[in-house]
Amino acid sequence: MEVIMMLTYDQPGVMQRVMAEFTRKKINVDTIVVGPCEMPERSRIVISLRDRDTALGVIEHLRALQEVIEADIVDHRRHEAYAITLSKGGVCRVTGTVEEVESVIKKSQPDKYIEVVNAI
Amino acid sequence: MKGARAVVELLEKQKVDVLFGIPGGVLLPLYDQLVDSEMRHILPRHEQCGAHMADGYARVSKRPGVCIATSGPGATNLVTGVATAFMDSSPLIAITGQVATGVLGNDAFQEADSFSLMMPITKHNFRVTDPKTLPEIMKRSFLIATTGRYGPVHIDIPIDILQLDVSDEDMKKQVRVPKPRRNLAGLLDAIKLLEQAERPTILVGGGVTWSRAGPEITRLAEMLTAPIVTTLMAKGSVPEDHPLVLGVCGMHGRQVANYALNNCDVLLAIGTRFSDRVTGKLSEFGVQTKVVHVDIDSSEIGKNVKGRVGLVGDAWTVVNALIAGLQQRKKRANWKSRILELNKECTCDYDLKSDPIKPQKVVHEMSKHLPDDAIITTEVGQNQMWAAHFFKCYGKRMFITSGGLGTMGFGFPAALGAKIARPECVVADIAGDGSLQMVSQEFATAMENDIPVMICLLNNGWLGMVKQWQKLFYDSRYHATNLGKSPDFVKLAEAYGAEAIRVEKHSEVADAIKSGMKSDLPILLDFIIDPEEDVLPMTPPGKSASEWIKGRCQWKGGGK
Repeated sequence: MEVIMMLTYDQPGVMQRVMAEFTRKKINVDTIVVGPCEMPERSRIVISLRDRDTALGVIEHLRALQEVIEADIVDHRRHEAYAITLSKGGVCRVTGTVEEVESVIKKSQPDKYIEVVNAI
Repeated sequence: MKGARAVVELLEKQKVDVLFGIPGGVLLPLYDQLVDSEMRHILPRHEQCGAHMADGYARVSKRPGVCIATSGPGATNLVTGVATAFMDSSPLIAITGQVATGVLGNDAFQEADSFSLMMPITKHNFRVTDPKTLPEIMKRSFLIATTGRYGPVHIDIPIDILQLDVSDEDMKKQVRVPKPRRNLAGLLDAIKLLEQAERPTILVGGGVTWSRAGPEITRLAEMLTAPIVTTLMAKGSVPEDHPLVLGVCGMHGRQVANYALNNCDVLLAIGTRFSDRVTGKLSEFGVQTKVVHVDIDSSEIGKNVKGRVGLVGDAWTVVNALIAGLQQRKKRANWKSRILELNKECTCDYDLKSDPIKPQKVVHEMSKHLPDDAIITTEVGQNQMWAAHFFKCYGKRMFITSGGLGTMGFGFPAALGAKIARPECVVADIAGDGSLQMVSQEFATAMENDIPVMICLLNNGWLGMVKQWQKLFYDSRYHATNLGKSPDFVKLAEAYGAEAIRVEKHSEVADAIKSGMKSDLPILLDFIIDPEEDVLPMTPPGKSASEWIKGRCQWKGGGK
């Protein structure tokens, strides 16, 4: 798994344009997190995908976009995961490293869940 | 001032002197302001042609062409033209009207999500939702279109924005766009590779035409004793009568050019994206070659062909850096004599004197009689490839074609745009009958606006290129390629008030072209050509250059 982190402008259409680069390259994005960051009018987008070659193939195209200020592949040690699970016990929030979160989900077998990868 | 007035002033400040547009309901406020503007306005008969005209204008003047279309169908008609410019990295500003922001998204009359439609086929695009941002967006659009790798920029302006106020402060707002990142870290490695090369070859692509780096590259070629081969998009950027220039390479290019491309030990590729039309089977392309790839767009380096050294920068700048850094001059006498030999070997006599007329004869006479600063545009298909293979570009001759997208119908409106940019030059479109029928309504535009271009129609009654592929690869199972009941093109042109000549004998070709060049009106030369003539030699798709189909070509191959 590889993670790309981008710093972009916070404007309508940015996400559409960024995702279009992945569609064009026939890349299935596994997870995506986007939200405000420490700078006004800027957002961060964190995308996780399957392999390094794919990430390397798309990153220059992302950097070429007018609304993308930075795009970098994130070192594995900085990967974090977050999941919300729903099971008979109720809603549960799971955070930690990717391995930790995935092992919790595997063990608890929730009725519903969603897991994303994040980084900073 | 109102948004509409702001748009006009902002265009005038960019020194735009011509607009290509078709008005519509949501553009009325803008067009009302255009009445009082000095900018020339050309009304095409289809928005797609408006975009092609702006594109042709941009390719000749090297400045952004501006086209305007209304919302809904106007914008969707513009899509093909904008996509054509995008694939060939041509600077276009496409302005579309849009329904008022209050009804956007409610399926209003003539509403289309042009912002989303244009996104994948533009370098960048905007939808103006706040009049305060209008001046900034317009200024930014021109900068984006002409910074780094050129490309079309689309601006969607809803009608209420045109009617709201823009303050003087907003108008004065300064805008900057980031300059493309240059990366010349590999320059010394590149120079070393080139100095040590035994058989270097230079491949130039469309980027060289935009950067106008032809003379510098010719000089570098002389220093390195390297042949120059060009892609379709770079035809005309280096003189084809220079002994080191082997001409267009690729699927329908000259086989000697393909030979030099595939048998060099170091390939210096400048301003090209290694399109599949050039490389053929990618996996086999240049397997033993070390590639130095120079491009202004860092995302192109390593995209199709993994090079040894990538240099990110403008062609003209990087070539000058290479020239300055080149210390040693190897003699390379063997390679040099091989190149001169190759050029001599590839000189067949294509002045074919038979009836029905062979298309090569038409291109031969055009090559012979057109002036040194003529501008040729082409449609797409066999006409385009005969032109690319047989028309000689030297001096100030320009060759303008839709290489990336391959849009039929590009040539005629592009010729009109080119003629507007350079009215003093002879501008001729080499057309096919299929392509011309897609845009023949533009004769009206040509007549109305006094734009005398020469249409050299290679009329064979078929969608020639598709027919050729059906012949070569589908056992001649022709389907949907015979155009059947085509119009009498001479009568069609004359119906618009243009001049027209039909030519059916090879002996009359030269005179027709000579009178075409002198005409003050748009003129159509209807050359009835042999429908069985194919564009050969050709490297079939997915095959390597050694598996070429010869046709009339008598070149015995390069050996090794």
